[in-house]
Amino acid sequence: MHDTPSAGPQPTVVEKVFAFIDERVGLKQLTAKMLNESVPGGSRWAYVFGSILLFIFGMQTVTGVLLMFYYVPTADHAYASTQYIIHDVDYGWFLLSYHFWGSSAMVVCVFAHMSQVFLWGAYKKPRELIWMVGLALFALVMGFGFTGYLLPWDQRAFWATTVGVEIMDKIPVIGDFLARFLKGGPIPGQMTLSRFFVIHVMVLPAALIGLAGLHLFLFRCAGPAGPFRGTPVELKAKTDYFFPRQIWKDMVGMAVVFACISALAFWEPVVLLDEATPDPGDYHPEPEWYFLFIFQHLRLRMFSGEFGQFLASMLLPGLLGVMLLLLPFFDRNPERNIFKRPLALIGWVVLTVSILLFTVSAIINRDFLD
Amino acid sequence: MQPQLKSKVRCADREVGEVAKVIMDPLSFEVSALVVSMNGAGERQVPIGAVQTVTDNLVQLRSSSSEVMALPPFKREDYVTLHEVEIPGLEKHVHVTPGEVLVPFPELERNVKRRTFFANLTYVTGLFIGLPLVFPVLKYLMKPMYAPMDNRWLKIGNVAKVKANDVGVQFQYKRSIKEAYMPETEIEKNAWVVKATPAVLEKVYQGKDMEFRDPLGKPIWTNKKDIPYLAFSGKCPHLGCAFKWRNHKILGPVFLCPCHLSIYDASGKVLDGPAPRPLDLMPIQVSASGEVQIIDMEFKAGTKSQTRIV
Repeated sequence: MHDTPSAGPQPTVVEKVFAFIDERVGLKQLTAKMLNESVPGGSRWAYVFGSILLFIFGMQTVTGVLLMFYYVPTADHAYASTQYIIHDVDYGWFLLSYHFWGSSAMVVCVFAHMSQVFLWGAYKKPRELIWMVGLALFALVMGFGFTGYLLPWDQRAFWATTVGVEIMDKIPVIGDFLARFLKGGPIPGQMTLSRFFVIHVMVLPAALIGLAGLHLFLFRCAGPAGPFRGTPVELKAKTDYFFPRQIWKDMVGMAVVFACISALAFWEPVVLLDEATPDPGDYHPEPEWYFLFIFQHLRLRMFSGEFGQFLASMLLPGLLGVMLLLLPFFDRNPERNIFKRPLALIGWVVLTVSILLFTVSAIINRDFLD
Repeated sequence: MQPQLKSKVRCADREVGEVAKVIMDPLSFEVSALVVSMNGAGERQVPIGAVQTVTDNLVQLRSSSSEVMALPPFKREDYVTLHEVEIPGLEKHVHVTPGEVLVPFPELERNVKRRTFFANLTYVTGLFIGLPLVFPVLKYLMKPMYAPMDNRWLKIGNVAKVKANDVGVQFQYKRSIKEAYMPETEIEKNAWVVKATPAVLEKVYQGKDMEFRDPLGKPIWTNKKDIPYLAFSGKCPHLGCAFKWRNHKILGPVFLCPCHLSIYDASGKVLDGPAPRPLDLMPIQVSASGEVQIIDMEFKAGTKSQTRIV
């Protein structure tokens, strides 16, 4: 054997591949730039929700694609194919239930994420665009929920869609067109199922991927807002990079969320009601829990009559939406400390408490229906 | 003025070297220190506070050369370059490069006059491709949206089922549906039939026969005011759920919608809850043998006026 003199050990195959790519695209610098994002004031548990949402979306994509291997979006087979997934396909019940509980987790984490941004005053200049794109993403998540639970074509699906579309019908000017467009006919049927299916598996995911990318890009342009307290010197002393401390916290958050969704899927698997039909029998129609507060407040006597209903289902939610959208523009006070923004704090508490109250009262109301 | 790279660095007594690197503060975006290459004697990190004046190509320090030499050597491993970290907005504040970095402008590009014209041409081309597609795509998507109404009479059962006056009785029936390419199927629906006493009939018809017309105004059927049988569409006029006949603690027997708790009496009048109008009546015929026939109709929910959609 003949020893060739070398500076160190020979590079492994992995290192060679890495070097090959690095030479062409600047992988090292790119990775560094991705991971070395300064987090002013240091990593925090409060910042984990964005990453968690990305994780949940990833898992929804994976489970959703897997469900499509068996699911058939036709009025005569949607129900049967969903039952087949639940009862016959190995672990089908788990994947379907994971997808179902994943959507709930998405809503919970969106609420947490938005609350964090709101309470930290992180929507203020220069982060207005991140906030606005975030609101659009919130609307997409709700759209996912609404289009998703028609797909199993059971009684819950049928009635939630019937009522949901009737509500959309009340949008001024375009309401009737929109309702017919979504239903693809006078009553929910095959056309409705086809439309909801393509919206759920193609249109919304494409929109979400695009907007989430934009959201992240805008976030990287402006940088993290950091805590609302502390002098620049204190912040600088505690600043670290996205990797590893924040990523570690994000990973723990993801693992916890994964465990929760899996546990729910395991112990509370999806059970379908009877197949969809315009005759509900003894079933009391009710939407998914995260729409319950809207459902319940439509029951209030103050929202009776045509105008009352318009007020409750269009005007108030619409105004709230516009207010949130324009929030960074009329709230120009640079103060970010939530304890020095009493109006914002009170607004958040009132909204959260009323959502909770309406949800709970909808659940209590169930007992008085029979 | 920010110090330039390669500027000479002069101490109170003599020149000691040149600016080799510049250190920025990531929060204030200000230059916080200079790294001075000491003419071959290593590098020293000089805080910006030690700088007296900065002019073109010269940084004047307050300290003496021995004081600068006594500073600890610059530790490169405590820092990262701008290429390895993302601090939004920082690069915009860096003006330490010694002049502009240039590349030649291609020959062919130098004398192009109509840049704006070409930019606008791309939009025009886009419109040229997109606009003709709008109408066909809309029509494509709208195909099933406005189906004609179906005014066939449907047999739904026999009135023998109705045992008492002014009581809601559910009639379940099947309606065949042929949707686009799908095989013809039957869907289950339900209507509520009430055998009304004259008082209730008066409440419903108010002394007038009820005429049903199609959207063009052509009469379809007239419910006579003295026929005691009423058929209500099974769809709640509030938001389209299915209502039931229930015993209410205070109001007695009523139609109750479990969704948003609208309550109607046997004549369909709203007693309580959010509904904007009474229950919807459908055309009804009862034969001598008691067979009930209806024209199946559904109306838009949530509006004060009736708009037929099925």
